[in-house]
Amino acid sequence: MSSQEIFDPYILGIFCNWCSYAGADGAGTSRMQRPANLRIVRVMCGGRVDPQFVINALMNGADGVMVSHCHPGDCHYIEGNLKTVRKMPLLKRYLEQFGINPKRVRYIFVSASEGVVLTEIAKEFSQEIIELGPNPIRGGN
Amino acid sequence: MVTKTKNLNKINGRDPPKIGVYICWCGINIGGVVDVPKLCDYARTLPNVVLASEYKFMCSDIGQGMIMEDIKAGKINRVVVSACSPRMHEETFRRACEEGGLNKFLFEQANIREHCTWVTMHDVPGATRIAKDHIRMAVAKVGALKPLEVTTVKVEPSTLIVGAGIAGINAALDLANSGYKVYLVDKSPTVGGHMAHLDKTFPTMDCSSCITTPKMSEVARNPNIELMTYSEVISLDGYVGNFKVRIEKYPHYIDQNICTGCGHCTDICPVECANEFDLGMKPRKAIYLSFPQAVPGEYTIDMKHCIRCGICQETCPTAAVRYDDKPEYVDITVGTIILATGYDPYDATRMGQYGYGRIKNVINALQMERLLSSYGPTEGKVKRPSDLKEPESIVWVQCVGSREFTGKGRKYCSRVCCMYATKQARSYKEKHPNTQCFIFYIDLRAFGKGYEEFYNDTAKNYGIKFIRGRVAELLEAGNGNVIVRAEDTTLQRPVELEVDMVVLSVGLEPRSDIDDIARIFNVTASKTEDGFLMEAHPKLRPVDTLTAGIFVAGNVVGPKDIPDTVAQAKAAASSASTLMSRGEVEIIPYYSTVLSHKCAGCKSCISLCPFNAITFNEIEKVAEINDILCKGCGTCVADCPSKAIIQNHFDDIQILPMIATAIPKKPQAEEVEVE
Amino acid sequence: MSNDDLKFALFLGCVIPNRYPYIERATRAVFDKFKIQLVDMKGASCCPAPGVFRGFDIDTWLVIGARNITIAEELGLDIALMCNGCYGSLLEVNHTLKYDKEKRRMVNEHLAKIGREYKGTVEIRHVVDIMYNDIGPEKIRNKTKYGRKKPLNLKLAIHYGCHLTKPSEIRPWAKESENPTFFDELMEISGCKSLNYKDKFMCCGAGGGVRGAFKEISLDYTREKLENISTANADAIITSCPFCHLQFDLGQVEVNNIFKDKISAPFNIPVLYFTQLIGLAMGMTPEELGLIRSPDLKGVPPFTPVKPIITKIGETA
Repeated sequence: MSSQEIFDPYILGIFCNWCSYAGADGAGTSRMQRPANLRIVRVMCGGRVDPQFVINALMNGADGVMVSHCHPGDCHYIEGNLKTVRKMPLLKRYLEQFGINPKRVRYIFVSASEGVVLTEIAKEFSQEIIELGPNPIRGGN
Repeated sequence: MVTKTKNLNKINGRDPPKIGVYICWCGINIGGVVDVPKLCDYARTLPNVVLASEYKFMCSDIGQGMIMEDIKAGKINRVVVSACSPRMHEETFRRACEEGGLNKFLFEQANIREHCTWVTMHDVPGATRIAKDHIRMAVAKVGALKPLEVTTVKVEPSTLIVGAGIAGINAALDLANSGYKVYLVDKSPTVGGHMAHLDKTFPTMDCSSCITTPKMSEVARNPNIELMTYSEVISLDGYVGNFKVRIEKYPHYIDQNICTGCGHCTDICPVECANEFDLGMKPRKAIYLSFPQAVPGEYTIDMKHCIRCGICQETCPTAAVRYDDKPEYVDITVGTIILATGYDPYDATRMGQYGYGRIKNVINALQMERLLSSYGPTEGKVKRPSDLKEPESIVWVQCVGSREFTGKGRKYCSRVCCMYATKQARSYKEKHPNTQCFIFYIDLRAFGKGYEEFYNDTAKNYGIKFIRGRVAELLEAGNGNVIVRAEDTTLQRPVELEVDMVVLSVGLEPRSDIDDIARIFNVTASKTEDGFLMEAHPKLRPVDTLTAGIFVAGNVVGPKDIPDTVAQAKAAASSASTLMSRGEVEIIPYYSTVLSHKCAGCKSCISLCPFNAITFNEIEKVAEINDILCKGCGTCVADCPSKAIIQNHFDDIQILPMIATAIPKKPQAEEVEVE
Repeated sequence: MSNDDLKFALFLGCVIPNRYPYIERATRAVFDKFKIQLVDMKGASCCPAPGVFRGFDIDTWLVIGARNITIAEELGLDIALMCNGCYGSLLEVNHTLKYDKEKRRMVNEHLAKIGREYKGTVEIRHVVDIMYNDIGPEKIRNKTKYGRKKPLNLKLAIHYGCHLTKPSEIRPWAKESENPTFFDELMEISGCKSLNYKDKFMCCGAGGGVRGAFKEISLDYTREKLENISTANADAIITSCPFCHLQFDLGQVEVNNIFKDKISAPFNIPVLYFTQLIGLAMGMTPEELGLIRSPDLKGVPPFTPVKPIITKIGETA
């Protein structure tokens, strides 16, 4: 079961509606191909992202989590995203204490016109997760 | 005032969910990649799903009809549509639910197109996996959704238009003549924008000021338009229908009520500085009027250059000079806003090889317009900067700063340069038939009505030489002449010309303060692409933004010629008018609420809210959220240490189940099915 | 950083040791006066030439260049070099290997066979860069103000060459890529003035394998440059590259010969490497700087007589 060949990473994305979700839509409209690893949950603003979501996702077996919202300064709700900018690095530090490799959580800024950027990062992250292996909760390392 | 129905969040009792899942083929967009009927089979296995149907185009009348019938028949009380992105058709399906008799917020859309089949077109098992996950997540969320009512707010019948160029002016006139109050604001002391700089306009060779100045005067006279020039919007609050705007009016240092416009001060002022209107080619005084036809015809003192010698104050016949003038702040409330702030010409100093700023006789196209203009620095006689000689030969260099992939300029085509260069060359040749005029181009884009005919006529009958080849570099020869080096790609040989003057056809760029504009008005300036403001949808909503109530028109959205600018201005006015004529607008109720019994009174949420929607009730010692000011970002929800804040439609009870069901319980290996 | 801290590994390349040794001599003499230490790089080879080698096989070019860089890495010193071509090669090899993991792996696989490893620990500096950025035109001007009884007062045609400034992003003067002025600033000492002549930044014609394969075409370039420089009435041509220097010096004789029907009169413009000019300004003799050649030595530079300058500047101290 830990065979690397058939390991397809399970990556959960939590994206804000105005920038990142739109950017992902843009990537889709332009048919930018990426490996079939990313599922996306929509929230209205990056500020809505509760660290609880990330932990729940990992505890439920996600191999990787990607949180994405607008670039600082561009938030549709002025500064919702800035609150998350403060929370995420802290969260990553705590993940280690949960016994989870913080590299499994990617925190990025993707704007509505950056479908290309998102696709590149998604590809890179998939590759990284493959190298890290499946989530230990599901029997990896 | 606001009409809204009760906050239904407090009502707990509801029927157990009976979910209907509808999977769309979207033609072959989805159906060509995944097996839709098999997805339906899968959907039926999910908890609380009572039926799963599929159709080629769920957004069609028939597709929507399927949903409505099942609701009316009492089969379902929750709807999931798995199709395109909710940003496309969420409203469509919500309305279908409503028409069927179901609260329109008991609907969720699973994105299995943009986020699935379109990005994994060739990996069928992979696409199927992701489609199943998205459907499963949507089913989990919809089961936890609660019925909501839209909030309706009144819309003020007034508009703020930022930018008084040809776009702003046209939009202002249309709205004012429809009976709405218009505030027209511009940073410059006069209206008119860039059109006031131009000499003639293509393809009709209309004199630009002849067609602009009547509109400029009209805008000043119209009783419904409050003109605020030399002013800037400094802050914006509120929401669609009720924008609260603060405007700073810069001091003129001259009492406009007393000034008679005699111009005596300008004659006497000892200070000379660069004249922005003539693009630095002619000086102006520190106390000045922008240009003869300026509207309003208000004299201004440029304090950056004024030395406060006091001569103008002493000699002004009406004693209108006021050195102690201060900025004035105006607060207004408007229902809609139109942004029409225009463009900046590309700064050609960034193209080192063209020597702009270094070689005296290399100028840009806007400067050429001023030289051609009868009220320009040389009163319509084109003279070259180094020795004021009338050029016997001129080269126009096309695509300066446009179609540029080296990072020194912009990748896009600026649309108007081919035509304006042709027009300028023609204008010049008309007056000086014995001169040599050359245009070095990559392509000649003559796309508009009458444009190709204009170019054809100019090329045939005016003796202008069009050479296909992008200019490589410009060098300074002795005596001020400019050497042009390029390749004539048609004849496949290098070309070197020595001419009297070179005009750089510079492209149109977003204004240098576009990011500030985007920030103040909470709209998006595209970051990675062209840098202009982003419209809500490039094809179907060219004058809307994603911020409700704010519209855009003209060059602020992208480079365009005058007819397109005016068309967009009228479109934006129409859109604003639609909103205002209804008198009220619906706001989606994604707002948050504090559960007072859980609130510990820690006040963490209060400082977090970007909209100051949270206040502290000193008597109950709990936080309270104003559900009109609350825009539903959810930041307070995520941060409340007591988990005392709930958000409509995006609460933990709706998101956590999505996350919980996102990953299938069975290990990865067994998920991979062989199709 | 005080002068006393400056110590570099001196990379000689090919043209200097084999054909123009006075360039090394003049540079050492001047650097000595500025207390910059130059250490020999034992075992250094051809850089390899950026036009020819890179044009044929990029991987070979990377490996040979990396080998040269490892010699300096072992000395723990940045490389100082006196040739635009060597600069083009080593700077770009260094930059490529610092950022391209695949290429680095490939190079180190080859270097392992001779017991070496590229680590990416040193920088590559052209002596013009060192003089301009580490010493500075101000200091040079001060040191050369009273080096002679009478200032030089020469009109100079500065030839930047190609690899010194391009590709610009990784070079220290990226901002002025279209219109650089740093070399002119460096040379405006002892009353000298740098002239603006037509097509100042045009190639001399030598590089890219052109002199080797198409000599007449390369000399046609040189002829054009000499005409423009002559029109501007320059007293001397200043170079920062031994190959450009060769092309203007030996090449000038060749141009006078091959194009004698095309040119109005034979050219006679002395060619100086820039450290030779700085040396003169500091009061060193032309002999010390290798500018005087014994008449019985054949095939030894300078080929275009330097006498016109010597006469013009008169006595030194």
